[in-house]
Amino acid sequence: MTPLFERFVAEARELLETAGNGLLSLERNPQDADGINAVFRAVHTLKGSAGLFDIPAFVRLVHAGEDLLGAVREGRLVLTSSHCDVLFQVFDHATAWIDAMESTEALPPDAHDISRRLSEHMRALLPGAEPGPIPAAAAALAVEARPAPDIVVPAWLIQVPEADRLAAWRRLSATGDALVVGTYRPDAQCFFSGEDPLLTLRQLPGLLGFEIEPPPCWPAAEDFDPYACLLGFHFVSAAPRAEIEHLFRYIPDQVTLDDAPAEILAVPAGPRSLGPVHQDFADSVRPLLAAGDLIAVGRSVSALLEVSSPQSREASALRWMQTLLAVPQPSRSWLAALVDSLLDGGVPRPLMAPVDLAAPATEAGSAAPLGDTARALLAAQQRMISLPCAEGEWDGRLGAAGRVATAVLRASGQAAAAAAIGEAVAQCRAETSAQPLFVALGRLVDASNAPPGDLAKPHDETVRSVDFRSDDRTATRVLKVDQAKVDLLMTLIGELVVAKNSLPFLARRAEEVFGSREMSREIKDQHAIVDRIAQEMQGAIMQVRMLPVSQLFQRFPRLVRDLSRKLGKQIDLDLVGEDTEADKDVIESLGDPLLHIVRNSIDHGIELPDDRLAAGKPASATIRLRAYQEADAVLIEVSDDGRGIDADRVRQKALEKGLIDAERAASLSDDEAVQLVFLPGFSTATEVTDLSGRGVGMDVVRSTVHKAGGQVRLQSRRGEGTLVVLRLPLSMAVTRVLVVESDNRLFGVPMDLVAETVRVPGHQIRRFKQSETFVLRDQVIPLLRLRCLLHLPACQQHTDEEAVLVVRVAGGTVGIVIDRFKERMDIILKPFSGVLAGIPGYSGTALLGDGQVLPVLDLKELV
Amino acid sequence: MTIRFDKGTAVVEGVCGPEEALELLEWLRGRKTPRVNLKACDHLHTAVLQILLAVRPKLTAPPDDPFLAAWVAPLLVDGRG
Repeated sequence: MTPLFERFVAEARELLETAGNGLLSLERNPQDADGINAVFRAVHTLKGSAGLFDIPAFVRLVHAGEDLLGAVREGRLVLTSSHCDVLFQVFDHATAWIDAMESTEALPPDAHDISRRLSEHMRALLPGAEPGPIPAAAAALAVEARPAPDIVVPAWLIQVPEADRLAAWRRLSATGDALVVGTYRPDAQCFFSGEDPLLTLRQLPGLLGFEIEPPPCWPAAEDFDPYACLLGFHFVSAAPRAEIEHLFRYIPDQVTLDDAPAEILAVPAGPRSLGPVHQDFADSVRPLLAAGDLIAVGRSVSALLEVSSPQSREASALRWMQTLLAVPQPSRSWLAALVDSLLDGGVPRPLMAPVDLAAPATEAGSAAPLGDTARALLAAQQRMISLPCAEGEWDGRLGAAGRVATAVLRASGQAAAAAAIGEAVAQCRAETSAQPLFVALGRLVDASNAPPGDLAKPHDETVRSVDFRSDDRTATRVLKVDQAKVDLLMTLIGELVVAKNSLPFLARRAEEVFGSREMSREIKDQHAIVDRIAQEMQGAIMQVRMLPVSQLFQRFPRLVRDLSRKLGKQIDLDLVGEDTEADKDVIESLGDPLLHIVRNSIDHGIELPDDRLAAGKPASATIRLRAYQEADAVLIEVSDDGRGIDADRVRQKALEKGLIDAERAASLSDDEAVQLVFLPGFSTATEVTDLSGRGVGMDVVRSTVHKAGGQVRLQSRRGEGTLVVLRLPLSMAVTRVLVVESDNRLFGVPMDLVAETVRVPGHQIRRFKQSETFVLRDQVIPLLRLRCLLHLPACQQHTDEEAVLVVRVAGGTVGIVIDRFKERMDIILKPFSGVLAGIPGYSGTALLGDGQVLPVLDLKELV
Repeated sequence: MTIRFDKGTAVVEGVCGPEEALELLEWLRGRKTPRVNLKACDHLHTAVLQILLAVRPKLTAPPDDPFLAAWVAPLLVDGRG
């Protein structure tokens, strides 16, 4: 996996999380403009980053989601829960695919189908979409495909070598394809997703030429952000539309493609050398064209071409006429336009919409809104005349701008506006100022009948994104580090602690073996220093490993939403104390138990709205997740105001399942009875739903929490609700153990299990057959011998007094006879790995300062 | 580095990537009449291009690359330098 991809994986997860959370709150409050923007932005960014990699299925899925969100953002679509369902599905699949790509570096095999199915589904939800499946390939750019009556000849086409244009013309006339005129406005942030618009243009199939559209005004040098793309591009390509769409497949929203007749390529180029012969030619050819005698036209063209200098503009015009005439059905209006162009030196423009263009005839003077391309061209003319230029060039530039603008307007069916431009040009010449034309063009560009301008949009976005970036710079300095690196640091510090512990042994040796008391003292001094630093390091790394429980809680809003929707229950989720921190391992170990408890609560605890109302409760139930810290433990409470647990039913159920006997059942208080749900094999739900009852009972919750060194407590009052409290150590990294000795070997026992240590005189130990017991404060406690449990040889020496470790294991109290108590110790427990992993009875080992290995007992397994 | 700063002239050679943009901008900001030589430049990243378009240094040598020569260089020739 490349570093880039690693970053993408991390970023994608974050974005999907943002999007998911945003959507949740959006569903509750669909009018929240900031909310929709946040979700949209996250999905948009995700699509952009995904585009860097060859994962089209992923991109397409996210893109379809983005379109749906875009429609909501623009107010074209009202967000409903069913939309949210689909979007959540999209996020879920995307998350799953990210996981899959992280491990296998490839999308799952079904990704393509899922992506296609979901994208089609989402496209069908879009306003104006036809019901039924849209062919996937067409779907991507289908939105943009539309007839374009306002296509004009980009003036710069003349710079494309005639040979190239001729070749393109031949190809197009052979296939009958239209020329593609496109506008590409890259996203301001596109550089960050690895795009290079200029490189994209280089790769554009069939590119004939392009023009760069600068921003309306460049930011001042000191504010200039080189990494916000300010440029736009207008291009013309002779390649089939599908190939161009393929190039832009990941950024279709930044590109508009319009079809243009191939005839617009026919722009004569070259130095003018107009003579009387050309006027004669025009006079003779025009009637022929009108009469439709194209063969005669062809003859005249050939005849004149022979006497024209091949480099001249006139020859070029004639060659184009020849080319146009060579197709089966030449366009007469374009031929006539070429004749006009030959004489007046302007860009050929058919006077009326040519019939073969299939453009809707617009009445002269009607104010049909200008298309994007037309407005962009007008804006370009406006910019051109606003630039300073040499005195001699001014008139030419003014004329050129006027001509292009007139042509654009005429092609857009705005003859009145075209005439106004002509007047403005004349006025400019009279006043020797470009102002009148500038104003006239400006009016057209910003005309109120223009749809909210694409022209203005990129600039707005630029401004906004620049602000956004400057915010970024002041953001807090958070370092993202791979967990494995922190874990490694943790392990190394653990080893340092162990290595440090060997110093006292060394000091003792210095004194006892080498007889240097002074040396010993110095070593001890040094040890004190290293010890202090090591402890601080340990504290610091613990802080690094601390995670807020919000990491744990964040999955629940979604879970509660989905489940309540599925079950028809109304549930509010209340999260309290999300800032409470605990060690990463603790947080991680809590995930599944908590999930199970909340599921149980929703499934069994919360009543249906009608039942709740009947019971005099509000229809909407509340589940509260509360986290707080208490001494060196973190507590997490899950409470609900549902129907609670029926203690009688629990008793009965436990009896039926043979988990307890009748006598015990009767003797249990309600509170004790409720705890029975933690027994393995207990499940009160009569029916198995797909939420809870997946074969994971509360017993698993309890054992998981125990494994993490924690405890579970449950309180429930019938009809009022249930409270489950999980109590876990803040950190599992350091375990406090009591070291005990048996058969001259040392063993560690986790301190949290040890209730007390007592010495029991031999006569107080009673034997019942094989079992031994003793009485501790009026309580009969079973007694076990560690030597027996570990199959060590029995103690030969007789002692009057036994050292007994009283431990609480599996809900009962047990005494364990050992040989000797040793000291208490903080250790870093290393679980067994590899071939040792299966050894029962031990939870791991720790290294002692003198290099000895201390096995730590897993009493739950042993007893 | 594909940009070499030679006295008052930035000489761009080969494929000029986005990572050069910031340095070029800083260099251009510090100069009254900067010049740029694109002769051996094979490609300009858009980020670099838009800096040149914004600051408009004098183009001392147009690019040999036909794509740049045809579509990019004409925008730079009437530089202020």
